[in-house]
Amino acid sequence: MPANKKYLTKSPWLRLSKILAGSIGGYAVMMSLHLFFAAFLPKENVVITACFTGYLLWAFLLLYAFIATNVWRVWGLYILLTVVFALPYLLKFNLNHGS
Amino acid sequence: MDHRKYNIYFHTHTISGIIIAALLYVIFFAGSFSFFKDDIAAWQKGRSEVGHQFDPPYNHLLDSLSQHYNLRGRNFNFYLLRQGQGTYVDITASQDTTISKPKPKPAKEGRKRGRGRSQDDDAAYFRYHFADKTAGDYSDSYDMAEFLYRLHFLAQLNQVGINIGTPFGYLVAGIVAFLFLFALITGLLLHWDKIKSNFFLFRPMSKWKTVWTDMHTVLGVIGFPFQLVFAVTGVVLIVNYVLLVPFANLLYNGDSDKLYESLQYNKTIKVDYTYKPMTGTFDMDAFVGKWQKEWKDAKISRIYIRNYMDESMQVSLEAKPNAETNFAGSGFATVNIASGKVLEQKSPNTDGNYIDGVKSLVYHLHFGDFGGKPLRIVFFLLGLMGCAVIISGIMIWLVARDKVATELRKRRFNFWASNFFLAACLSMLPVTAFTFIMVKMLAHVDQAVIYRTYFYSWLVLGVYLMILRSLPRMNRHTLILSAVLCLGVPIANGISTGLWIWNTWQQGAFDIFFIDALFIVLAGSCAYAFTRVNADAKTFKVLSLREAPEKVLKATVVRE
Repeated sequence: MPANKKYLTKSPWLRLSKILAGSIGGYAVMMSLHLFFAAFLPKENVVITACFTGYLLWAFLLLYAFIATNVWRVWGLYILLTVVFALPYLLKFNLNHGS
Repeated sequence: MDHRKYNIYFHTHTISGIIIAALLYVIFFAGSFSFFKDDIAAWQKGRSEVGHQFDPPYNHLLDSLSQHYNLRGRNFNFYLLRQGQGTYVDITASQDTTISKPKPKPAKEGRKRGRGRSQDDDAAYFRYHFADKTAGDYSDSYDMAEFLYRLHFLAQLNQVGINIGTPFGYLVAGIVAFLFLFALITGLLLHWDKIKSNFFLFRPMSKWKTVWTDMHTVLGVIGFPFQLVFAVTGVVLIVNYVLLVPFANLLYNGDSDKLYESLQYNKTIKVDYTYKPMTGTFDMDAFVGKWQKEWKDAKISRIYIRNYMDESMQVSLEAKPNAETNFAGSGFATVNIASGKVLEQKSPNTDGNYIDGVKSLVYHLHFGDFGGKPLRIVFFLLGLMGCAVIISGIMIWLVARDKVATELRKRRFNFWASNFFLAACLSMLPVTAFTFIMVKMLAHVDQAVIYRTYFYSWLVLGVYLMILRSLPRMNRHTLILSAVLCLGVPIANGISTGLWIWNTWQQGAFDIFFIDALFIVLAGSCAYAFTRVNADAKTFKVLSLREAPEKVLKATVVRE
């Protein structure tokens, strides 16, 4: 049997919003989290680690946009997280002297 | 698990899965055969590479090149083949006459070599074989190994003429790989509660839907770690610019060369040209031999020559450790030839760092080159298991929607979608075997011939299978065709080259032997599956088409 429609999003706009929140928003959170780590750790090591952690995290964040009950809360959460994680980068704060 | 989450996992898994099903099958199928890339290349050329040790004749190569070109002031890049039986050679125009400074290398060569290179007229790019000292251009040395290897990241799609600023086929392959990762995660979560209880649950005597569901979930869960690794490393290898371009912009001020250098992908060697000829000679064989001796248990993978025979001439070597001795590592050395001074060096055996570790993980896990032939065979089988999961997934998708309550129009559409997917997927094995036969039978084989043979036969067989309008018949026709054509592969090889399977065995040409043996095993499996289908398969029909009951066996048994 296909999935029970009762639990799925009916409005195509809401669905589009979820897809965009998950893919674009998820990508932004993932990117900004790695920028956050790059403030404390050697940046080339962070970048190469992102090969594994980045795509996995992105896939999970994409899924979370579908799981969450309210997609607008997801948008809010993802924007908030992106900004918070990006703070050290935006403030040019860097503990990792050297690079 | 609450019902809501369960149904969302279910739906996202279904949608992402059915979108990528056919392309992912192509990727898995071609990729599985690519584990035997070297063997296929040896098989097609009829020239075994087993146990051959060459001292690469670089001096001879430079000598013969100097008869066609004035080599002074040129840059050379040698990209050595994995087994060390030859190399790709890239020669730039001379610094002396045309350019004053070395051009920066295009980022990340390796995968992008071959097609779509912008070249000066005076430059050259070719493939050189050490044993018989012959050169061929890319298209001439194109073989089935290269074809299947490139098919597994959809490189052929780059040529359909959709221009979006990045190779179209690679992008599609990347999106498929990422959706595959997504489908893996949702699939695992969906099945989470039943993982333990249903781990070995297989009910082959039950109705078809149960058989397919069991096959999909059991093989999916058992193969999960393998497939997850391939999904992630696949994305990394094909579309990593999705990450690296923003990182270069944010962390390296947009200087992607610098990013690639800090990730140890390529070294930018900038050497100013002096217009003063170098005194003395350059013995490349001796030079490379010396470093090869220094780095025992490692293989030199690339050689860069800058400003040939100029006073500023530099040679750079890159080496990779043998996976048996050192799983992670990379080494390089740059030497100024005139003074003999070593400008920088890093040993492949002892100086491995964190970046080497991560990159080795990506490459070794994806290429399966760290455990010899047994590991490749296991990976090959796991890859085909992935094909089985995809096929059963399509079947579940179809039968779950084939209900009396559903509109006939929708059911028709679902049937034709599945019909198309299955025809495209199942025809791959016979078409591959057919092309293997043709490359042995045709007088001249190059890239265009392989393209025509493979894609047109795929089209013809695919359309034929769709016209049958019956999945059970499609299955039976594919099985019998696969059995016959796979058996034809060693026979075609024997007739055209005299390298019958017993001859290659006696000669110790195990790479050629292996391909013949592989196709005999495939032929045997298909023939066996065909007899089983005819003997005692349960009936199966798609309601909407009101046809006589047909027999079927799960198409994918053959593949194991």
